[in-house]
Amino acid sequence: MQKFDIYVVGVGGQGVLTIGELISQAAVASGIPVNVYPTKGMAQRGGFVKEQIRLGRENLGPSIPPQGAELVISMELSESLKALPFLQKGGEFVLYGLIWAPTEVMLGKEHYPSRQDVSREIAAAGGRIIYSDPSQLPQGVRENIFILGMAAGHTRLQEFVPAQSFRQAIEERWPAAAAANLRAFDIGYDS
Amino acid sequence: MKKQILTGNEAIARGALAAGAKVITGYPGTPSSEVIGSLLKEKELTGVKVEWSVNEKIAFEIAAAAAWTGQRALCTMKMSGLNVAYDSLISAAYSGCRGGLVIYVADDPGVSTGMCEQDSRGFALISDMPMLEPASVAQAYDLTVFAFRLSEAIGSPVFLRGVTNIAQSHAPVEMQEHELPPEKPVSLPKDIATYTKAGAIICQNQHFALLQSLDEAEVMLRKEKMDTLILGKKRGLGIIGVGVAASYIDEAIDLAREQGFSQEDADISYLQLCHTLPYPTEEISTMLGHCGRLLILEELEPHLERRVYLQAYQEKQNVQIWGKENGVFSRSGEYNAALITQALLTMEGISLPEDIERPNPARLCAARPITTCAGCPHRGTFLAINKALRKAGVKQSEALVTGDIGCTILGMNAPFNTLWTELSMGASIGLAQGFIYAGIKTPMVATIGDSTFFHAGLPALVNVVQHNINMTVVIMDNGWTAMTGMQTNPGTDEAHQAAGKKQIDIELLCRGMGVEQVLVADPYDLPQATEAMSAAIAHFGPSVVLMRRECAIQSGRRKISYGDLVLDNEKCTLCKACINQCGCPALSLEGGALVLDKNQCNGCGVCKSICKFGALSLNAE
Repeated sequence: MQKFDIYVVGVGGQGVLTIGELISQAAVASGIPVNVYPTKGMAQRGGFVKEQIRLGRENLGPSIPPQGAELVISMELSESLKALPFLQKGGEFVLYGLIWAPTEVMLGKEHYPSRQDVSREIAAAGGRIIYSDPSQLPQGVRENIFILGMAAGHTRLQEFVPAQSFRQAIEERWPAAAAANLRAFDIGYDS
Repeated sequence: MKKQILTGNEAIARGALAAGAKVITGYPGTPSSEVIGSLLKEKELTGVKVEWSVNEKIAFEIAAAAAWTGQRALCTMKMSGLNVAYDSLISAAYSGCRGGLVIYVADDPGVSTGMCEQDSRGFALISDMPMLEPASVAQAYDLTVFAFRLSEAIGSPVFLRGVTNIAQSHAPVEMQEHELPPEKPVSLPKDIATYTKAGAIICQNQHFALLQSLDEAEVMLRKEKMDTLILGKKRGLGIIGVGVAASYIDEAIDLAREQGFSQEDADISYLQLCHTLPYPTEEISTMLGHCGRLLILEELEPHLERRVYLQAYQEKQNVQIWGKENGVFSRSGEYNAALITQALLTMEGISLPEDIERPNPARLCAARPITTCAGCPHRGTFLAINKALRKAGVKQSEALVTGDIGCTILGMNAPFNTLWTELSMGASIGLAQGFIYAGIKTPMVATIGDSTFFHAGLPALVNVVQHNINMTVVIMDNGWTAMTGMQTNPGTDEAHQAAGKKQIDIELLCRGMGVEQVLVADPYDLPQATEAMSAAIAHFGPSVVLMRRECAIQSGRRKISYGDLVLDNEKCTLCKACINQCGCPALSLEGGALVLDKNQCNGCGVCKSICKFGALSLNAE
């Protein structure tokens, strides 16, 4: 089987690590080799978080090489740029355009990249953008599960892990709150 | 056997249980903490003693004693912790052990958890100990189980070395059931030739025995086929890799083929190792005798590579050796498949694909400095230190304040910019004394967290008291070992500790040590905290300010609110002093107005003390 690498970036508090957790559970349920390597650093609310997910092949080390990821999932506009060096040419780039401004940006003392900046850089790296506008997210829908649904329904991830495995992983992860999370997944999946 | 997704650290914890470990100790340190962390989450671990000890040296001594009596024991730490434990560790290596004694140390090539790029294999070299180096999460489990057997077979302690990307990775692991440690009467044979160091003859005999045990380890590793040796074409290409660096070989070769690398799999010779020490001398000889050129894969220091050079010289083998010594790889950073691909292409004389020079897009990223959480008690402490020093007439550009390890170091960042130094556990106090001896004239303040104070700050404070140094130690007591994931420490409230454990009162401790002036303040009460700081600075002689308030993450988990903060936008002049000085994530500007995030705010009230216009007020709850 071919490998499929996913590089996920976002900000502490967005549930980036839960994405990896669900992908690994779903992969194991589908009998696919998987390694998920999160880098939390000092993963507090508002700090940079990344996660390297390697699917589909045994004997893969934990770190994705530069220009190695078939898919990038970015949960925050500015942090997208940190993932770009790891995107394969022609790779897919799920971009959730949330702006989580650090204090200095909020005070107007520091720069924050525009959406055009980010799109231009992704295009220059040969990435295919699958964009989601945070303002379009229905009230009460968990953004991380929504984004996972998007990736599961709109990228080559579906060639490796079927949506049913994700739904099953969600049900096992939140036995009491499965319905709301499945809904978030499906809204992303059908978007 | 059952299959479960585990992190590398959890796999080591499960491996230790499967091996029947009786005693498991350690001190928290990223990336190693989840071994003990995951075990302490277990409802019931009958027959196993698991604890966070006060520091790594003590943790190790507890584990070593258990192993001397014949029990199996595991001790865990990050690389910096090994430096602390090493005094006892090298001596224990000389004494050997009866039960399996495994020391897990986690290194961090590439520094993703913010410390040094120490290659702990160097310590295995110094103390002539085997060090097992898993290449995957699944192997972390298997090698843990094996490490106990190895240790018992050779009668010496064994290192297990993790690296961040294995320790923190999640992957499926095949596990055995937990084996309860056998109930057996234990004793320590009275044997001063083994368990003391009294006299040169005793020490030298112990050293001989230790060297012999390392040779025995080499034999056992070979007998149990722990390494993989596959020979390809004679005089052809050979690859020797150890630990996680070896896990990238297959992928690197595939990538190289896309660039014109034409070697067939069957032509290449491989030696995949799960240890550098003991050196696999026979396998290295075989590779040297068989291959024309060798690529050596190991992260950080070229320990394995230098052994290959040495044996090539001894065995008069004219083999080209590629690695760090000829500049193909760096001694810094972690490996990945692309790095190894480049090396393979260079060896084969294939020109590397032209890298289209594109500036790294990350240059456009918004800076995201780590700051204190909403409601963090350290915020009030940093503000109080800054204010008190300013009141004492010290310019902030000259106010040298030393910092220490843990969340307390966040005071080095904006908006506080309070701290100037961070060295090692407990070092804030010794450094401060040194600055005074050197002739720094500004009032000297050292800052340290509660767990760090217990770990290594205590002797430093004793030194300050004994030498009667005019300085202030600020102990930021939030009740938890917070940065590494909320472990308990001796200062943790007994209500949050396991039944039967005791809390140690830092205030009484400092008074008992003879600190002349000990002041206790609440960092949520900024005027009070500032006053305490001012009094301590004014005091001539050693003083301690104990800033006492529980970590906001922990109190938040118990839904504790300290009051209802009310924002009056009518009174707010948009001077932004609250944001500029507190940097609290619960305060932001949106659409030209100050906004309060009630979900994050715990009512600590520090911002209220900053606002001069009464726009922020606190309703007590």
